Amino acid sequence: MNRTARTRALTTCCLLASCYTAFSFRLVQLQVTQHDEYAARAAETHVNRQTIYARRGVIQDVHGEPLAQNEPVRTVIADGTLIKDREALADVLAPALGLERSLVLEKVSREVYSKTHKKNVPVPYIVLKKDVAESVVSGIQDQLAERKMRGVFFEQETTRVYPNGHMLCHVLGYVNGENVGVDGVEKTMEQFLRGHDGFRYTERDRTGKEIVPYRGQEKEARNGCNLRLTIDMGLQNIVEQELDAAIKQFRPKSATVILMNPKTGGILAMANRPNFNLNVQDKVPLDYRRNRALSDMVEPGSTFKIVTAAAALTERIVRPTTMINCENGFMASCKLRDHHPYADLSVNDILVKSSNIGVAKLAIQLGDQKFYEYVRRFGFGERSGVSLPGEISGIVHPPHRWSKISITRMPMGQEVAATPLQVASAMCVIANGGQLMMPQIVQDILDEEGHVITHFAPQEIRRVASQDATNAVRNALVDVVSPKGTAALARVAGFKVAGKTGTAQKYDEKTRLPSHEKYVVSFLGFMPAEDPAFVALVLFDEAQAKPGQNYGGLVAAPVFSRIGEKAARYLGLVPSPEEPTGSIMAGQNSRDR
Amino acid sequence: MSTNRRRHANAIPIASFVTWAFVGIIACVGGLGYVWTKNQLYTTGTEIKMLERELADLRNKNEVALSKISQLSSTAKLQERFDTGFIKLVPITNEHIVVLSNGAAPQNKGELRSISNQGGNE
Repeated sequence: MNRTARTRALTTCCLLASCYTAFSFRLVQLQVTQHDEYAARAAETHVNRQTIYARRGVIQDVHGEPLAQNEPVRTVIADGTLIKDREALADVLAPALGLERSLVLEKVSREVYSKTHKKNVPVPYIVLKKDVAESVVSGIQDQLAERKMRGVFFEQETTRVYPNGHMLCHVLGYVNGENVGVDGVEKTMEQFLRGHDGFRYTERDRTGKEIVPYRGQEKEARNGCNLRLTIDMGLQNIVEQELDAAIKQFRPKSATVILMNPKTGGILAMANRPNFNLNVQDKVPLDYRRNRALSDMVEPGSTFKIVTAAAALTERIVRPTTMINCENGFMASCKLRDHHPYADLSVNDILVKSSNIGVAKLAIQLGDQKFYEYVRRFGFGERSGVSLPGEISGIVHPPHRWSKISITRMPMGQEVAATPLQVASAMCVIANGGQLMMPQIVQDILDEEGHVITHFAPQEIRRVASQDATNAVRNALVDVVSPKGTAALARVAGFKVAGKTGTAQKYDEKTRLPSHEKYVVSFLGFMPAEDPAFVALVLFDEAQAKPGQNYGGLVAAPVFSRIGEKAARYLGLVPSPEEPTGSIMAGQNSRDR
Repeated sequence: MSTNRRRHANAIPIASFVTWAFVGIIACVGGLGYVWTKNQLYTTGTEIKMLERELADLRNKNEVALSKISQLSSTAKLQERFDTGFIKLVPITNEHIVVLSNGAAPQNKGELRSISNQGGNE
């Protein structure tokens, strides 16, 4: 080989070697140095993170009746790029979706300017309708398959359904468009109900079809927990029926009924008016959505006298038989009047006759600080801690902010603002022998199979009054619901009922004086008195009763009686042999406060 | 050239032929197997996808049915049916209940109560 040939061969070899070195370099650069970047780019195009949505937990009543559950629905999507005959598609979709044909046609004909194609192109993602039922979707799918039409897809979603509509609306609450609880138990128990979404990494080919063998990392969705409430729908239905009947009769501005188990603090039923349908709640005014049992403050009126009496008896300042001079109906020193003039009344009779002067004297004997202490111990002026949103604490001023007559007004439920739930809880103290129980709405958290994960045991907040004191108050309250008491109309045939009426004048903003037309009337009681199965509060704000008849004993007590009668039958309570089962006559005292 | 040497020169290399044929067959079978396996993977994938869709559809239908059952058997719906007379029940009033309770017996223990209706047709 001569020199020229050798040089040529060497040059060629060098060139080839350089070329392959360059290729190798590029290969190393692509596969090693910039691997992550290119892998990410490829993944961006082909790999898709598919969310596996968790199912929201179901809410049940104490017997397992579903109160809030999920229903699968679809969102109908059109892909304009795949639609060939828009007119024909509109003919199929419009009647099935209940939309105007022109609207469907307008939507599927929409176009956007594409920078890539430099012209207007059909929109690839058009939402035609949300929350379409599965049955409608399968009908549309059949029609599309029959006519061989393409370009319509159905995205899977779920909607929250409340089988009982209006019932229990303020307790259950509702969810927003993203299935997040915004009110009621749906809100407070959101962390348990919502569950955790899962995911799956999938690869798609260039036509968009999933390549199943190339599925990547996958995490199962963890569905939300189910909740079992303390609510008993049988009792709730009784309450709702009777409340509706009372609303028709008295047309109040608002009304609240609460049924509680005094031994556990469990809320058995809770209803407010006005109410709304949970399944159609888009245009409901905000005022209708409030759970008035927790978010409204009312002057408890005479129902508050149980607090004063229990405090005085617990402190052993008086005994049930101790006689108190009731000043013949007018206490001049503090301008306090009774509805009827009484000379001397026993502590028992002070409650039976609902004497304002009598309870004022009991509170004076207790002293400012001690009385205030008991008011707070009964749970007034603080949130109860129930698992419902929007609860307020009410208003109980400390003694240093009292006026000279506050000690005579507060014992009869004036100058105090309390929520209906606080008032019902206070009566639970009397009914259960002196313990303040935390009001409870959620009983259990369950897994999908119905096994109990967490049980919320009844929680005693504190001991408020002695057993003897509560027994004495209970005996007095039984007499209140007798022909000689103020709440004869609250009697339930065959059962011993204990209770207290309340009639509070509302403050007139025009005259800045207590109104003589606007009242908050209530009845707070429990039955059977010997072994209470439930405490009930019936409260009406501005009931339209006949003149001179707007009293707790005449408006709220009969509602309690009807609820009590039905509830006793529903719960299978054993009637007391001592109690007559005949008709009930109201005494004149029903007009008392 | 001796007879033996010629025989050696013209002999068919059977062993080598068999070896190469075997390698070829293995390669072919391997290749075909690979293609078949790949094809099976895709087919199974498609089947899995189809079954998943079917399962999701069945789950949806089940949930829709459960939801409908719950709505139709809800307290509110039953009350509505009762109010409209669909469920023909006659409310038993207090006058039609006789309670025979034993005064000496301990109360509120969930014991059986003796109850009878006065009017048999009520």
